[in-house]
Amino acid sequence: MSDRTAVEAFVYREARLMDEFDYDGWFALWDEDGVYHVPVDPDPSAHTGRRVSIIRDDYPRLQQRVDRLKTGSVLAVEGQKGAMRRLVSNIEISTVDTAGEIEVGSNFILGIARTAEQQLWIGRTIHRLRQHVGEFRIARKTVFLINSTHETPLLQFLI
Amino acid sequence: MMATRSAEPPVDYRNLVREAQVHGSAYRDPEIFQRELERIWYKVWVYVGHESEVPNPGDFVRRQIGLQPVLMVRGRDGVVRVFYNRCRHRANLLCLREAGNSDKFVCPYHAWSYANTGELLEPTFDEGYDYDLQKEAFGLTPLARQDSYRGLIFASVAEEGLSLAEHLGAITEFLDLFIDLSPVGEIMLDTGAQKTQYRGNWKYMPENSMEGDYHGPFLHQVAFALYARRTGFDVSALATGEVPDVIRSLPGGHMVEDYRGAPIDPPKRAPSPSRLEYIAAMKTRHGDEKAGQMMRTMAPLLYVFPNLLYVITHIRVVQPASVDRTNVYYYPVMLKGAPDEINDMRLSDHEFMMGPAGFISPDDIEIMERNQIGIQAEGHDWLYIGRGLHRERDMPDGGRSGMTMDETHLRGFWRHYAALMGDGE
Repeated sequence: MSDRTAVEAFVYREARLMDEFDYDGWFALWDEDGVYHVPVDPDPSAHTGRRVSIIRDDYPRLQQRVDRLKTGSVLAVEGQKGAMRRLVSNIEISTVDTAGEIEVGSNFILGIARTAEQQLWIGRTIHRLRQHVGEFRIARKTVFLINSTHETPLLQFLI
Repeated sequence: MMATRSAEPPVDYRNLVREAQVHGSAYRDPEIFQRELERIWYKVWVYVGHESEVPNPGDFVRRQIGLQPVLMVRGRDGVVRVFYNRCRHRANLLCLREAGNSDKFVCPYHAWSYANTGELLEPTFDEGYDYDLQKEAFGLTPLARQDSYRGLIFASVAEEGLSLAEHLGAITEFLDLFIDLSPVGEIMLDTGAQKTQYRGNWKYMPENSMEGDYHGPFLHQVAFALYARRTGFDVSALATGEVPDVIRSLPGGHMVEDYRGAPIDPPKRAPSPSRLEYIAAMKTRHGDEKAGQMMRTMAPLLYVFPNLLYVITHIRVVQPASVDRTNVYYYPVMLKGAPDEINDMRLSDHEFMMGPAGFISPDDIEIMERNQIGIQAEGHDWLYIGRGLHRERDMPDGGRSGMTMDETHLRGFWRHYAALMGDGE
């Protein structure tokens, strides 16, 4: 079992990097076989066969996502961008079969202030973290939005 | 006396469309939206869903025609039916779940129950009805008309009107072209849907979806560059040399981007074994010449008036909620009979481009929201859709065609819209 304080510090730091649009800092947290997944289905195992996702990035595509968000000339990103802060809570740490890896579940509430409205995004994140020399890397991050099966606004930021 | 809001006199709904101009109120006026419901959404054929979404007896999905809730159900007899999602007793929403499988539907209010074929099973406490309650007369109400084309199920609120075949008309040629991307001629919408919404009028979606070549190089510049880097396929090259007859308006308000005359450069990398297997299967089905042509060109993008789009990877459904709010559903299209790797790639490409977090469609959604803000400015209240007006051609199917970036298709859409919204057709 990893030190809980270290795990919490990692999850909080990741949240802050996302909130502050530090795309490079966030991308540096990832391991090179990382998968970033925001499914539509709350329980993908309930189906056999392919299911479409909101986000399903392997590492090269994640790099592209970060490049696109950073560009500054992407209309949707510009229009959707607003001041944002998230609270992360309900952290639970589990051991997994793979040595050197842990699974961390956490809930988040994310508020985004844009010109005409405040958006609220809520969900649960499952991090698969891998212990590197003295620090964690993200091997997998799955975000279950509570409204993933409903119509959502555009998701043009890191969640 | 009321102050005049606009520099121009108010425009009658029968006069919203000129040859190459559309009045701003068509996107803004709640009365016009109400008339659209009556004259368009509750009159013409509307796409409801695909048979592959309800493969087994008892499978159902909730849908909407205009603002009216409907259910598409495959009955225990294997027949797919479209019913109003409303209890015959006191009009409660019968089924809340978005999708599922059920032998029967039980209304949560007073527990009247219906078979998945629509018949009333039990009007609870029926001894209280002091007359002979005819169960047969209280089944779920089917839509007035229902028909399908190659698995695409349409329904109409109106008792009378054109047949589905007449409504679709010349667009079946283009529907065939994309459905025949499956080596067995069947598509599957079995991966679910991404759902988003925007604060803008529904008509922005068909207009925007069918003109990637005019706005693409500007709006999608970043995404196109990333896509080219990933796949070696330079989408922006489609717009560099304009090709005749790419943009098509068809009778019935349908629109097409027809790329048969615009071959794409083959990818530089060698085709994978799955790709070779797929090409071989396509040749077996369609013959060398047609299969070769389909492989050399991009399948058409198409819009079936008023709510069905096929765009590169998926079927897109446009669902108005109000004059300035629209829901959009993206259903990836899988090709039955194609190698797994081909469908895996299609789904992956779809997720790259589409949905609320994709690299392309969010730019379009953002533009539509800004369009709805821009259109509040009524100073000169006419939109201009005149590109290529001087060079558009009449086509044998009764439609017109234009060059790659022309607005011929938009003029066709609006001509049809004006005919439906005006007094006569």
